[in-house]
Amino acid sequence: MKPSALQQSYTNRRSNSFRGSPPLESSIDGGSKSPAAVFWLVLHGLCCLISLVLGFRFSRLIFFLLFSTTTTTSNNNLFSADALTLQTTLPSSSSSSSPPNGTVVVSSSRVVVGRHGILIRPWPHPNPVEVMKAHRIIERVQREQRLQYGIKDPRTVIAITPTYVRTFQTLHLTGLMHSLMNLPYDLIWIVVEAGGRTNETASLLAKSGLRVIHIAIDEKMPIYWEDRHQMEVRMRLQALRVVREEKLDGILMFADDSNMHSMELFDEIQKVKWIGAVSVGILVHSSNSDEELSVVHKEEDVENSPMPVQGPACNSSDKLVGWHTFNSLPYAGRSANYIGDRAVVLPRKMEWAGFVLNSRLLWRESEDKPEWVKDLDSIAGDGEDIQSPLSLLKDPSVVEPLGSCGRKVLLWWLRVEARADSKFPARWIIDPPLEVTVPAKRTPWPDSPPELPANEKRIEIEENREKHIMKTRARRSKRTSR
Amino acid sequence: MKDWRWVLVKFLYVAFVLRIGAVEGQQTERISGSAGDVLEDDPVGRLKVFVYELPSKYNKKILQKDPRCLNHMFAAEIYMHQFLLASPVRTLNPEEADWFYTPVYTTCDLTPNGLPLPFKSPRMMRSAIQLISSNWPYWNRTEGADHFFIVPHDFGACFHYLEEKAIERGILTMLQRATLVQTFGQRNHVCLKDGSITIPPYAPPQKMQAHLIPPDTPRSIFVYFRGLFYDVGNDPEGGYYARGARAAVWENFKDNPLFDISTEHPMTYYEDMQRAVFCLCPLGWAPWSPRLVEAVIFGCIPVIIADDIVLPFADAIPWEEIGVYVDEKDVPNLDAMLTSIPTEVILRKQRLLANPSMKQAMLFPQPAQPGDAFHQILNGLARKLPHDKSVHLKPGEKILNWTAGPVGDLKPW
Amino acid sequence: MGTVERSKKKVQLYNKAIFHFFLCFVMGFFTGFAPTGKSLFSRPVVASNRSAFSPQSLSLSLSPSQARTQSDSFNTSLLDETPIVAIPTKSKSKSEFEFEFESEFEFEHERLTNLEKVELIPNRLIIVVTPTSVKDRLRAVHLRRLTNTLRLVPPPLLWMVVEQKSNSARVSEILRKTGIMYRHLVFKENFTDFEAEMDHQRNLALNHIEHHRLSGIVHFAGLSNVYDLSFFDEIRAIEVFGTWPMAMLSANKKMVMIEGPVCDSSEVVGWHLSNMNNLTDTSSPVHISSFAFNSSILWDPERWGRSSSVQDTSQNTIKFVKKEVLEEETKLIGIPAKGCSKIMLWNLHIPTPNAQR
Repeated sequence: MKPSALQQSYTNRRSNSFRGSPPLESSIDGGSKSPAAVFWLVLHGLCCLISLVLGFRFSRLIFFLLFSTTTTTSNNNLFSADALTLQTTLPSSSSSSSPPNGTVVVSSSRVVVGRHGILIRPWPHPNPVEVMKAHRIIERVQREQRLQYGIKDPRTVIAITPTYVRTFQTLHLTGLMHSLMNLPYDLIWIVVEAGGRTNETASLLAKSGLRVIHIAIDEKMPIYWEDRHQMEVRMRLQALRVVREEKLDGILMFADDSNMHSMELFDEIQKVKWIGAVSVGILVHSSNSDEELSVVHKEEDVENSPMPVQGPACNSSDKLVGWHTFNSLPYAGRSANYIGDRAVVLPRKMEWAGFVLNSRLLWRESEDKPEWVKDLDSIAGDGEDIQSPLSLLKDPSVVEPLGSCGRKVLLWWLRVEARADSKFPARWIIDPPLEVTVPAKRTPWPDSPPELPANEKRIEIEENREKHIMKTRARRSKRTSR
Repeated sequence: MKDWRWVLVKFLYVAFVLRIGAVEGQQTERISGSAGDVLEDDPVGRLKVFVYELPSKYNKKILQKDPRCLNHMFAAEIYMHQFLLASPVRTLNPEEADWFYTPVYTTCDLTPNGLPLPFKSPRMMRSAIQLISSNWPYWNRTEGADHFFIVPHDFGACFHYLEEKAIERGILTMLQRATLVQTFGQRNHVCLKDGSITIPPYAPPQKMQAHLIPPDTPRSIFVYFRGLFYDVGNDPEGGYYARGARAAVWENFKDNPLFDISTEHPMTYYEDMQRAVFCLCPLGWAPWSPRLVEAVIFGCIPVIIADDIVLPFADAIPWEEIGVYVDEKDVPNLDAMLTSIPTEVILRKQRLLANPSMKQAMLFPQPAQPGDAFHQILNGLARKLPHDKSVHLKPGEKILNWTAGPVGDLKPW
Repeated sequence: MGTVERSKKKVQLYNKAIFHFFLCFVMGFFTGFAPTGKSLFSRPVVASNRSAFSPQSLSLSLSPSQARTQSDSFNTSLLDETPIVAIPTKSKSKSEFEFEFESEFEFEHERLTNLEKVELIPNRLIIVVTPTSVKDRLRAVHLRRLTNTLRLVPPPLLWMVVEQKSNSARVSEILRKTGIMYRHLVFKENFTDFEAEMDHQRNLALNHIEHHRLSGIVHFAGLSNVYDLSFFDEIRAIEVFGTWPMAMLSANKKMVMIEGPVCDSSEVVGWHLSNMNNLTDTSSPVHISSFAFNSSILWDPERWGRSSSVQDTSQNTIKFVKKEVLEEETKLIGIPAKGCSKIMLWNLHIPTPNAQR
């Protein structure tokens, strides 16, 4: 009873036109010979007229009328020309398009057996508006799925990120930012910047459109890893104080800019009651030595896991029994001491990123605050001792292991930095323009690149003015191309 | 004004149809409303089925010869037999039976490639009926009007895989009074008898279960289809296979990023269906395909492209509400049609599809579970009770012509 | 059977007459109502009109050669012998189906279409091609990072992820949780050389684009890339070829390498390149991730005024693309338009022994 029905009937009629026209003549002859049908003729004519006028809402009915009279002749008559063209243009199909038992088909079924045209529309490309509509539908469907199967009444996520301006900052922070931007929950992002608030960082954070609390510590980030870790702890504590003062309510996570997150992590941490621990995949790397990695590979075999993991260790009944810590023994004497050291950068025994807290633990007063938590003020004084959020606890056994009891790794740790003295264009805007090393415009491209020393065409941005570099570089390249 | 004309037209039409004598077959009945109310009916106690005991050459031996029959899409005939043997609706006393079932595995004659050859099926069926009619009195009482047969092949009891041939043959004469349980369903087709029960094809339940992914996996494919567009081997000219509809899908939408369509069958086929919004279920050689079952199980809205298709258990499953019908001739507008469906309608269809009773009705699990396809078949049979008085023949009366049909069919099996 | 036939005979007497009348009626309908139909009647009538007439537009059935020219974008040889039937124009068929839901959802649909008119601004399709290798130790992690970025790109975006066929469903699992529209392509061949494998994977994706005639801006996104989101807005502006500078970062090094075009406004006046990381690959000094192109050059080369050489190079489409990018400098634009001066793409190079080998 829908328009589709009428379209259907029309297809069938059209297809019937494949079948020659002999029935047409016979039926016309017969029609003039039956006077008894005059009454019905008028009545049904009226019927057809009105129903057609009213639209093909009734097409199915009309179609049935046509068929019950065993005639498809109207169509044949009207469109036999089409049938002819089709058959002449497709001689190969003409024989098969009229089945030998055509009459049987017509009388007992309106199924068209035989060859059909392959309908191809004249406009070839997808309509861009429809593509957008489809994406809107998909988006809506996904939102519905989240509503239906996702976390009910999610708590606000409070992410704490220590950072500072450096070559890898944009790369790291952009990655983290994109993870946080995907969160379907409310989010407060506390970014603690070492060396004071900079526009560099602020403009990057502004792109996220997230609710950001950007605070600063005036101290500069030290160059030694050991000091840096201490510094980062102080920065995180600074952020925790903000949480305490502002009484921010939600789930606290420590998202370092060198972390990479699976989106499932954010669903998982919603389960935490007071303090939870997740496993962190440690991606150890070194810039120049292969052997460290081979060590890692050996461990793989032992742990039967693709990478070393730091996090809660459970027994078979999913009870927390201890901790997987990173085994730094194989790296003894080869671990990096300062940022940019050409050696393996190792994680701390327990990385902060592996912990999530209920922010009420930090509040001065909270109704059902458990007594096993130390007050932030009492420990923050001697911040040097704090290695991980476990220091906040009187009893570390209260930690709730998350992520299938730590078996699922949902976040990774990859500390990659450039050398501490590495420089980069401010906000990554190239000014002044780069030097042309290969001219454009109608230059036949060389088949193989000229054999030049590797460092010849690198940009090396010195502390001083860019112009200055340009000069030096130009001078240097002159020298090498000699 | 408009309404008045409408009424008039309706009246005229009704008058016309009645006068002509209702030549047309009835449209399939369908209940409206939410799914589950009829699907959850329990057939036990509402009917009794007598299972004829046939020599094993009609069933078990055939299966032993080729166990692949247990996994192809026609396997319903085997599982239904096994189900009935253990079912509480089975009765050992034929006198109290409402229905009689003859266990013949007519599609279990496979080519080396695993495709069924139905050439011997008519002879086999005929032989089985001859056997039951001479060993028991019940067939001759009604000439099969209270018997049902499972004929899951492409064109049901027409027993041929080519539609033209199938139409030429028509439903096997022996079975013309019986109730047929078949996958084939197309309105006004010689191979679809009034009162037949249309069932879903068999799709392996365990295998599908094993590939289920969490329901929160975001659906990110707009339209999904895997399968043939052209059957070059059997239809070199094109235009016969799927009446050109599948070819039209490819030609019009291969360049559309929303249409994830291909002939390659990926390892993640079942998973991909679960992250698609729409799954195309176009006709192939026959109007149905296992995609229909897969779409329902995996919650992907079936886009049914097969004019006049009669869908499985259409009297219990609100196909109109859960699926989208697209006429074969509208295939070139598929993108526009699908994107113009209001989102609320799409979400409602998905909610209906999520209804477990809908999924259950599509499957033939072992062991059987309440509400599954076995039970839906029984429900369908129960709804036909009590039998009309006309099923019983007068003593000595014969309606069926035992010698009709192609000569080949008359040969002994 | 017998009763039906008897009644049919009776019926036929009437029906031939009925039919005759009906014929006249249809004729009258066609001639009389055709021009004014749309203005005279309410919407459903328009539909009936349209349907009644569509067979006429069908009479423009095409000869195969005509059909070829009309739909010359369809190159499949299978079509050569199939009957091709042109169907009514787009606008018409569009409004035809709009009806389908009108009765039930009239209000809602109306509201929706209004909304769409206001909000739906069509966007260019971006096709992101990402080859992945099991040799890459960080594959899963980096894949997740890239996933989080691509999820934020406004649609339409099609992500093609390629990997070697394996029994592990790790990549599929990561992908399917993202909600991004992606196609996961697999191949069987084994490779020992990392770069050769990457190129093979890119070729595979390009062949897919060519086979499907997908139309969009193709970009090769390696797993170690990090993007500023504005990047994806910028590349939508590309007509034929586009290129931009990218920053190569390496762990524990002092140097930051910036490679790419040197531009005057959006015109590429030269290149600033290092052949450092391309020593092995002599075919192109341009980094694979530093350009994007309109996919139609793959399947519709004539449109861009060049011989259809793709067919010959179908085994190595990537080579063809690289060549085209470099040769067609007139059609090459620098991104962003303000002198290509903004870095929107960082490539992090972490040496892993496997990847190097």
